[in-house]
Amino acid sequence: MRRVAWYIAPLLVLATGCVTTGGATQRTVIRAKDRVAPALVHIRPVKQVFAQGKREEILVLGSGFIISPDGYVVTNEHVVGEASFVECVLSNKEEVEAEVVGADRYTDLAVLKLASDDPLPFVKLGSSSALESGQTVLALGSPHGLARSVSLGIVSVTDRYLEEQDDVVSPYNNWIQTDAAINRGNSGGPLVNLKGEVVGVNARMLVGAENVGFAIPIDTARDVVDQIIKQGRVSRSWVGVTVQEMRRKTNDPSVRGVIIADIEPLSPAQEAGLKPGDIILSIAGTLTNARFEEDLPAIRKLVADIPVGSEAVFRVARGDEEIDVAVTTEERSDLKGDELEFEEWGFTASELTPEMVRRAQLPGRTGVAVSGVQVGGIAFKAGLQQGDIVLKMDDAVADNLAGFRRLYEERIASSQRLVMMVVQRGAVSRFVLIKQTSEDEADVEMEQEGEGENSHVE
Amino acid sequence: MLSNLAAAVFLTLSVAGSASGDGFDQVMIDAAFNRVAPAVGLLTFTSEITKSASGELSRRAGNALGLVIARDGLLITHGHILQEDREPVNIRFTLGRGEDEQEYDVKLLKKPDDINICFLRLVSDQPLDLPYVTFRSGGTLSIGEPLMIVGVLSETLDNTQGVFFARVGAILDKPRVTYCLDEALRFGFVTGPVVNTAGEVVGVVGFDLSVQEGGELYVRSGHPLVYQTDLFRRYIDEPPGEQEAVADVPDAWLGVFTQPLTDDFAEYWGMEKKGGVIISSIVSGSPADKAGLKTGDVVVDFNGMPVRSKLDREVLQFTKLVRETGAGQPVPMTFLREGQPTQIEVMLEPRPKPASEAIEYEDPVFGLTVRELTTDVRILLNLPDTVQGVIIRRVKSGSTAQRAGMRSGIIILNFERHPVTNIDDFKAAVDAVAQDRPNEISVFCRAGAVTGFFRLEPRWNDAAGE
Repeated sequence: MRRVAWYIAPLLVLATGCVTTGGATQRTVIRAKDRVAPALVHIRPVKQVFAQGKREEILVLGSGFIISPDGYVVTNEHVVGEASFVECVLSNKEEVEAEVVGADRYTDLAVLKLASDDPLPFVKLGSSSALESGQTVLALGSPHGLARSVSLGIVSVTDRYLEEQDDVVSPYNNWIQTDAAINRGNSGGPLVNLKGEVVGVNARMLVGAENVGFAIPIDTARDVVDQIIKQGRVSRSWVGVTVQEMRRKTNDPSVRGVIIADIEPLSPAQEAGLKPGDIILSIAGTLTNARFEEDLPAIRKLVADIPVGSEAVFRVARGDEEIDVAVTTEERSDLKGDELEFEEWGFTASELTPEMVRRAQLPGRTGVAVSGVQVGGIAFKAGLQQGDIVLKMDDAVADNLAGFRRLYEERIASSQRLVMMVVQRGAVSRFVLIKQTSEDEADVEMEQEGEGENSHVE
Repeated sequence: MLSNLAAAVFLTLSVAGSASGDGFDQVMIDAAFNRVAPAVGLLTFTSEITKSASGELSRRAGNALGLVIARDGLLITHGHILQEDREPVNIRFTLGRGEDEQEYDVKLLKKPDDINICFLRLVSDQPLDLPYVTFRSGGTLSIGEPLMIVGVLSETLDNTQGVFFARVGAILDKPRVTYCLDEALRFGFVTGPVVNTAGEVVGVVGFDLSVQEGGELYVRSGHPLVYQTDLFRRYIDEPPGEQEAVADVPDAWLGVFTQPLTDDFAEYWGMEKKGGVIISSIVSGSPADKAGLKTGDVVVDFNGMPVRSKLDREVLQFTKLVRETGAGQPVPMTFLREGQPTQIEVMLEPRPKPASEAIEYEDPVFGLTVRELTTDVRILLNLPDTVQGVIIRRVKSGSTAQRAGMRSGIIILNFERHPVTNIDDFKAAVDAVAQDRPNEISVFCRAGAVTGFFRLEPRWNDAAGE
């Protein structure tokens, strides 16, 4: 009886909200919703965030859906990534703890495993390649934390290309754009067709716009989720090329291929001799053609799917020549490095990513990136700033985050009064002198304050 | 007109007089106001603003207080009228009221790089003899000292002159001494002359630039300050940029970034706590680089002058010392390396041209205005020496370049198979392409740390008509 009771509420909303929906469609919508709703999960992770030089734990709200009777749940990386504790509320309002099996920042997908011994209701996954724009879809989830919400709309566009913005990227997939209402909290919830199959994972919306939401196509998700369940992570090949659509060079549709826009320094592509301006015609025998930007994710995925460490032949057009270039791939590193708080000095730092190394024009890959500095703390007073890359502590090189932590802990233990860090700030390096003890009078501290603010160019 | 002014004074007094005007007597106020106000006028101009994201240019009417500081028509106004993204054009200056009202054409002079004030020169066929303010020389202000500021009220009050009373709220000593006012100021009072209770004009109201606003030295945006006369006196005597043609010695340049040798640094390195200048960074290819200086070297003597910096503002003195030493001759300097004194001679070079003086070129076809890559921009963008090109400064609205998605800040490396390393290359490339009139032009660029292509599709027939 209870089941019936809580199905009625959304049903009423639909009935009054969609007056124009005909009886047959109305029944179809309800049936589709009924197929998915029992497997819908309201997710309440406690996750660590690093802000203003501190590590904090915050409670967030999101959505997800069960995909197997043994309790695997699909959701977004941005919901449960770096979660220390995940609580899920199932459709029967039962609270169940879950563990994070794995998460993938490149596709914003994550898999949870519910701690439940009973077989659970689960969804049927559909196919996103069969979607058409105009097709009716439902979005289920917890907008603004309101669990078990259903909204109705259509597919607006089946293959929307979203450009990367800072660290929000989606190199390997296009997006399903929908006008079904999606709000904060819908993240990780299913986008469902009228057959009641999940065709997408709701993940983004356009802030400031109305009814412009985006879902990760289920075909992309299926592949990623399989890998996460099997090996806890997603492994991808990387060669260090940035690609652009052919339209950036010509509007002539007869010219096929994909443009190499950029070659990362010290990458496999550079070592193999690929150059910006080369047109890739095929990769490992598969023809490549990207006339529009929507065609790019498939090309990137083609590279990613090459077994890591193996050799692949890139056939490229360079001027009037066609040449074959053999490239041995490397594993693509994570989008974001681990992060730690250095509490005594009042700052947080993260592992360097290749991207940071490149932007900072660092000679090697050693160092850590300062991700936040607590106002008024020891590091702040010494003039350390967010974005600084710490290369050395005293005379020791900070190889990576673990090495840096070791150096830090040694100095905390020894409580030596002064510790010197050599940092890179943009194109400029600086000395940052940490004063561990503050037995000095206040006026000396005043002098120190703000010292890091100005660089004097001479 | 006179009665108008008087009314403005009384109105202001009735509000501010009791609270912060004490220390001033009415006779003094009248005298000072009558002496100073005639030199205060109104600048009107068109502000050309470049949107940083799209490079689009928009225009907006602007106005600001202009203060006459020399009889022959030298003016100052606040430095914010000229910023990285905006430039005033079509500048006019109105002085006096009613029948006495005079309007002048104005030329903007080079903006000094050590103070956020713009200097302007009135353009006139006849020699000018204008009312102007004379500033007190030297002297300091005290905390809590009452001050009177003369300015103009808003447009809705006909830009009438008025006064405002405030006190010195704080004395700032870094990176150079300035005084913080304790009151928020109305817009028309920025660059207004600041009068003390003795009736002396001690300086003008200013705002330091934040880094976002293109400030290099100062980062105190938002707090009204008193720029005491000493900070800009030399520009009254030698208006910036005007003497350049006759200036024989350009500013010299060493090519280092520095930090003061605080006592803590000295302790850490086991040096005497006598101050000095730590070389924290060296610009590659600079005189310092060529002379073999290394980061961590501590300069203690430069050209026979001891260098003893313990505070940020004292480092500025070293900066000034280098600048004024003159390029082209060997200069002895002593530095400590790992504690050991070492003497070398360094050949200073003329200071590289800053971006604000960079050559710009607006191509007539595609809507691109580009600039040469100056040393300061290379440092700001952290460009390796291998990157040579021109940087897009503006993209004309509706142009071929805008349609292609090009925007300011992008560096052009290659233009339709013509390598671009400087403005001349770019001009030649544009000319060659304009001759050939291809349907599509491939432009290879660098945006941020990565490279990529843009495709220009010019409408040649329309372009020809331009």
